[in-house]
Amino acid sequence: MIRLTVNGQAHELDVPSYRTLLDCLRYDLGLTGSKEGCGVGVCGACTVLLDGKMISSCIALAVFADGREVTTVEGLAEDERLHPVQQAFMDAGGFQCGICTPGQVVAAKALLDAIPHPSEAEIKEWMLGNLCRCTGYYKIVESIQAAAGQARA
Amino acid sequence: MAHRIVGQRFGRLDGADKVTGAARYSADVTLPGMVWGKALRSPLPHARIVRVDASRARALPGVLAVLTAADVPDLLVGRRMFDMPLLARDRVRFVGEKVAVVAALDPDVAEEALAFIEVEYDELPAVFDPADAIQPGAPLVHENPGAYHGAPAERPHANVQSVLRFKLGDVDAGFREADRVFEHTFRTQLAHHGYIEPHAGVIALDEDERVQVWASNKMPYRLKELLSHALELPPARIRVNLTPIGGDFGGKGSLMDLPLAYHLARVTRRPVKMVMRYTEELMAGNPRHPSVVTMRTGVTKDGRIVARRATALYNSGAYAAFKPAPSVNLGGTSMGAGVYRIPHLLLEGFCVYTNTIPCGHARSPGEPQMLFAEESHMDMIAKELGLDPVELRRRNLLRDGDALANGHHLEHVRATETLDAALAASDWAKPKPRGVGRGVAMGHRHIGVGFTNAQVRLETKGTVTLTIGLPDTGTGAHLVLRQVVAEVLGLSIDEVQIELATTDLFETDSGVGGSRVTHTGGRAAFHAAEKLKEQIHAEATKLGTPDASFATIAQAAAREGRTLEAVHFYDAKSHAAVTSFTAQVAEVAVDPATGQVTVLRFTTAHDVGTIINPLGHQGQIEGGLIQGLGFALMEELQTAEGRISTLSLGDFKLPTIRDIPPLTTVIVEDAVGPGPFRAKAIGEGSISPVAPAIANAVADACGVRIVDLPITAEKVYFALQDRKGRS
Repeated sequence: MIRLTVNGQAHELDVPSYRTLLDCLRYDLGLTGSKEGCGVGVCGACTVLLDGKMISSCIALAVFADGREVTTVEGLAEDERLHPVQQAFMDAGGFQCGICTPGQVVAAKALLDAIPHPSEAEIKEWMLGNLCRCTGYYKIVESIQAAAGQARA
Repeated sequence: MAHRIVGQRFGRLDGADKVTGAARYSADVTLPGMVWGKALRSPLPHARIVRVDASRARALPGVLAVLTAADVPDLLVGRRMFDMPLLARDRVRFVGEKVAVVAALDPDVAEEALAFIEVEYDELPAVFDPADAIQPGAPLVHENPGAYHGAPAERPHANVQSVLRFKLGDVDAGFREADRVFEHTFRTQLAHHGYIEPHAGVIALDEDERVQVWASNKMPYRLKELLSHALELPPARIRVNLTPIGGDFGGKGSLMDLPLAYHLARVTRRPVKMVMRYTEELMAGNPRHPSVVTMRTGVTKDGRIVARRATALYNSGAYAAFKPAPSVNLGGTSMGAGVYRIPHLLLEGFCVYTNTIPCGHARSPGEPQMLFAEESHMDMIAKELGLDPVELRRRNLLRDGDALANGHHLEHVRATETLDAALAASDWAKPKPRGVGRGVAMGHRHIGVGFTNAQVRLETKGTVTLTIGLPDTGTGAHLVLRQVVAEVLGLSIDEVQIELATTDLFETDSGVGGSRVTHTGGRAAFHAAEKLKEQIHAEATKLGTPDASFATIAQAAAREGRTLEAVHFYDAKSHAAVTSFTAQVAEVAVDPATGQVTVLRFTTAHDVGTIINPLGHQGQIEGGLIQGLGFALMEELQTAEGRISTLSLGDFKLPTIRDIPPLTTVIVEDAVGPGPFRAKAIGEGSISPVAPAIANAVADACGVRIVDLPITAEKVYFALQDRKGRS
């Protein structure tokens, strides 16, 4: 039995010890926003925040999140209002197919929480672990810059 | 002509679901009672299956079914050439071929069960290299491929799937006119598309015994036809439900695991989900064909090309099943002619069976392979002739009225303008420091053809709903279609909604692929909207109030029990006389100590039609370009004896956000396309010239010519060492 808080909601559940946090979120809790791409912690499609820190949930065990707080892509918008990062990805073309986007926006939110006005080099350093095959990344950089600009306003 | 909505830079208005995680991709579809399917794959490249014993796996708690070839119909599937069994029967032909499939209550149990299936193999001689495979006496991958449904007639060797040939003039006579003849051979690698969403599908049998399908497949109507054949069911019994697709790039058009998911659903009486692990994608997806391309070109003293013969050997792997074109070959073979007027031409592509992963279509299929060879070859010829590589190109560029290798005559040729635009924007003529080089490469791409249905309906609140059977693979196509309808009907973008049809609604649709959607979907939507506009006008006239609002008109019709709606089926059978040219310049630095290539800046110039959404258009250019960069510098599925060793995205390297060079895009606009509002296509325009532009820049920077992709630091380093040793 583990207890964890996901997007502000407390859960108690029985999971096998081998269950990954990603599978727990997707199958036990029905939160399918986080995606499995590579399955080995390389592509970042499964990025979530664990106590505010970015992790690849496909290589973390669910039991590892016992007693901790998880934020997924479903938890970024507040009262139907999109997080500035989410809005910026839409406005600036920061996604195409969208499969990597949950991980991208969670990582970008963590970046702006840590560095509110990142330089281009800081954006690229931070976002290195989130692969995107559609955009060629240019519009992801622009989206994050736009979101940082909004945060400043 | 000025437009209101067409040409406006719209963000992804349709993307809220994608940024909030609400979008349901195929792998996210969850149904009551659903169970999981997993496949057992062959560990050997070529072997006889002596015995399969699934009894221990069947006995595992939580396992509902285990199927082997004996439990599924003995039929062959494919997209054009039907040569692949649902599960290997008697014989496996590549490492990764499916041998058995399990359904279990839990994905982990399903995976565990695979280890309890015992398979005894008797290994057979195998062949891995296409050049070896077409020798007399080579092991045969299939005994009699000519007997397969959809097999092309020409077969110089039993290991040849297909031959594609393009001819102009008389190539032998052409070579006799030449003053010099040059021949070079190039190789390109096996590379996966790199979409982040592995193939996924859910199959459920509903209460009417209809097969409900959710799948990462970009051609729902073709999928329905292919499933009808594979499942031996009438098409009316199958419904494909559209889902977002997590990247395609040519890879998401086959049946993949769906027939097996169906048979598991049939046996277990439960909905079945099958999602490939990324390892399975890299081992048994349908990646880009590796190639060996020999280019032979005859030129006159003044640098005019008079003859060319190009031969491509494509390693197609163990099955032809994944190739969708009627030729069962790669259309990009025609790019052996480059962007040049060549009076005497013979281009040949051979797709060859080997005991390796079956290959399929990938973004502009065949073109990155051919253009790497062709545009590298051009620079090598220029060097031999002592000509500037730009000058050699200028003397041979296509002009209005010239014939392409496929016999089409071109109009509105903007090759020179596009080249000039790229050169100007890249500071081509400016001096550069030591160790820095610039390279140019060009290409062009047709505007896709196909057929699409669109339906538009006036709602009583005055808005319009567009219903379409085309999935959006990520390109923003649905937004483009909304723009087209809004433009025609004088509405705002928010007043046009899009609704996705299941395959029950329309008769047919060619789906997504081949740079066709803006053209075929756009024209279908355009004409449907025009028809609706006429109805609205007629209705307003009938009401006696020509300026009545759409809402008033729709409500008046509704009171009489009518809905104003129109359908248009658009079918473009043959290619337009225009193409889109691309010219690119790479500027690179080569580290002499390590061979590392750094792309310092990149310039891409495109000859385009009317741009409907500049943001989406630029996104296609950038995305394709970085795929081209990955193909040029890093992506490679490494194989030894038919086994792929780069079985994760940690080993198969895709470009990251830190690998992107500073980019300048130049648009040369000319509204002459066949698409709505004279649009052209852009999805496949930027990928192909990237690798030769970089290879040419590397040669310019350090004098080393790399003729096999990818251009890794190791290859450049050893080439530099080799040159030092010889001097």
